[in-house]
Amino acid sequence: MTARFDALTRPKAGDDPRTNSKYLKVGLVLATLGLMVAMVTLIANIAAANNDNPVTAVETLAWSFGLTTFAFGTIKLAISVILIGILVRLWARVSSVKAALPGLKGHGEAGSPRGDIDTDHGAATETADIPEPLPIHKMARKMWFPMVAMGYMLVVVGTIVSFIWSGKVADGTQQAAQAWTAGIQFLGEAFLLAGISFLLGSILAALREGGGDVQKSLGLPVRTLKMPVTAKLFVAFMALGLMVGMLQFVLYIVAAAVTSPQSFAAWAAWLGPLREFSLGLLLAGIVLALVTIGNVLSFQFSRFREIVATGK
Amino acid sequence: MTTRTADGFDVEVSDHGLGYNAPQKMGDRMWAPMFLMAVMAFPVALILSFVRASTIADASTPGDIEDAAQLGHLIAGIGFIGFLAVFAAVSFTIARILGRFRKGGGDIQEAVGGDVQTLKMPVTAKIFMLFMMMGMMVIGVAVALHFVAAGNVGTWSLESVERWARVLEGFRRLGVAMYLFGIAFGLGTIINVIRFQSIRIGQLSKSG
Repeated sequence: MTARFDALTRPKAGDDPRTNSKYLKVGLVLATLGLMVAMVTLIANIAAANNDNPVTAVETLAWSFGLTTFAFGTIKLAISVILIGILVRLWARVSSVKAALPGLKGHGEAGSPRGDIDTDHGAATETADIPEPLPIHKMARKMWFPMVAMGYMLVVVGTIVSFIWSGKVADGTQQAAQAWTAGIQFLGEAFLLAGISFLLGSILAALREGGGDVQKSLGLPVRTLKMPVTAKLFVAFMALGLMVGMLQFVLYIVAAAVTSPQSFAAWAAWLGPLREFSLGLLLAGIVLALVTIGNVLSFQFSRFREIVATGK
Repeated sequence: MTTRTADGFDVEVSDHGLGYNAPQKMGDRMWAPMFLMAVMAFPVALILSFVRASTIADASTPGDIEDAAQLGHLIAGIGFIGFLAVFAAVSFTIARILGRFRKGGGDIQEAVGGDVQTLKMPVTAKIFMLFMMMGMMVIGVAVALHFVAAGNVGTWSLESVERWARVLEGFRRLGVAMYLFGIAFGLGTIINVIRFQSIRIGQLSKSG
């Protein structure tokens, strides 16, 4: 099963690297759909604010909440699809570079692998073989698909529950549905962001493995960056964000059983910022993953330039 | 420096690598301050939310209800400073990655010798920047108005304060959607840049 998901991130045999990416097209269509839904919910909120009937206004705000989160989920799904497209292109790039570099390589003779070394881009290792993937890389390749799929399904289920919440406003029995909507949808959002994080982890794995593959194919020592601090912090932020995301879901289930409207309002007052805190942690992790990708690319370009200039 | 269209890409041709462009330099400088702002804002909003929850749980006077409304606006404002900052940091790091591709690709072509081809800023990158700025402005204005509303609790009726909360909630969410939409286009630009570089390195080996 994992191998089948991993195959989605590799170019198919005979794929022409000059053609436009179908992942990009699908991703941008989904992102546009998400933005349009978000615009609809803005109109709904303005209508609710100007509605003098408090029941109708709250009914509108209920489904508007669900639909907005659905819009965010759809754009995050779009981002996931585009990240898969980046992975496919990265593997195609490895093939192109492997084919081109022998003709561009300088004429120097490479020495033996030196083990641990320092580079301008941080601590690295020089080995004879491509280093094994790190545990987080293996995990990322296994986990991105289940996280994205489960996340989007939860967001859709939560959207349906938001309409149930809206339908219960008139008779004043909406509290439980309100709690379930927020809990389910934001667990889904956390899973989607975790899926995006795992896709970024897979990109880091592809850069590491692909860079090693290119160097080995030229008969050179394989120089690989050691795991930088930003990558370690990325994993920590992602794990913490995912845990808080699951915690908020459990706490919303508890809040769903609260009967007093005043107590329920008190629960809702801090559970909202808690779920945002969870997303904030996951997004902060994503920032650090992107920073790491930028640093790894600098290292890789510098290594390729060295190979072209010196042949070693 | 001249401009040319090759394999469906608009490129600038020069005798040396062009290095980072202005948005990429900005991305390099700005991601860290935005990241720090985000990791500070979210916990502050969460801590204030505990105070607000306690106020609501013990509320017995109209003054308590006003305090809760005021805190509600403050928490939304601070929380969305967090989102504004973290999405800006994501956008800046994407610009930084695009910069690494631009500079790295130029450096390698320069090392090979001959013409250096650099991709001109594609439409997807322009949409990325446009929606990033729009998202930032929409959330920024909504945050400022949340603070205005918080400052006017007691002066305005509670009904007006609640109406503001509803409208601003809609704008905040639209701002987030705009940011995410822009990020999708920024990542899409990376796909096109890798495609261009894969084609270009093949050309280099043939001409070399």
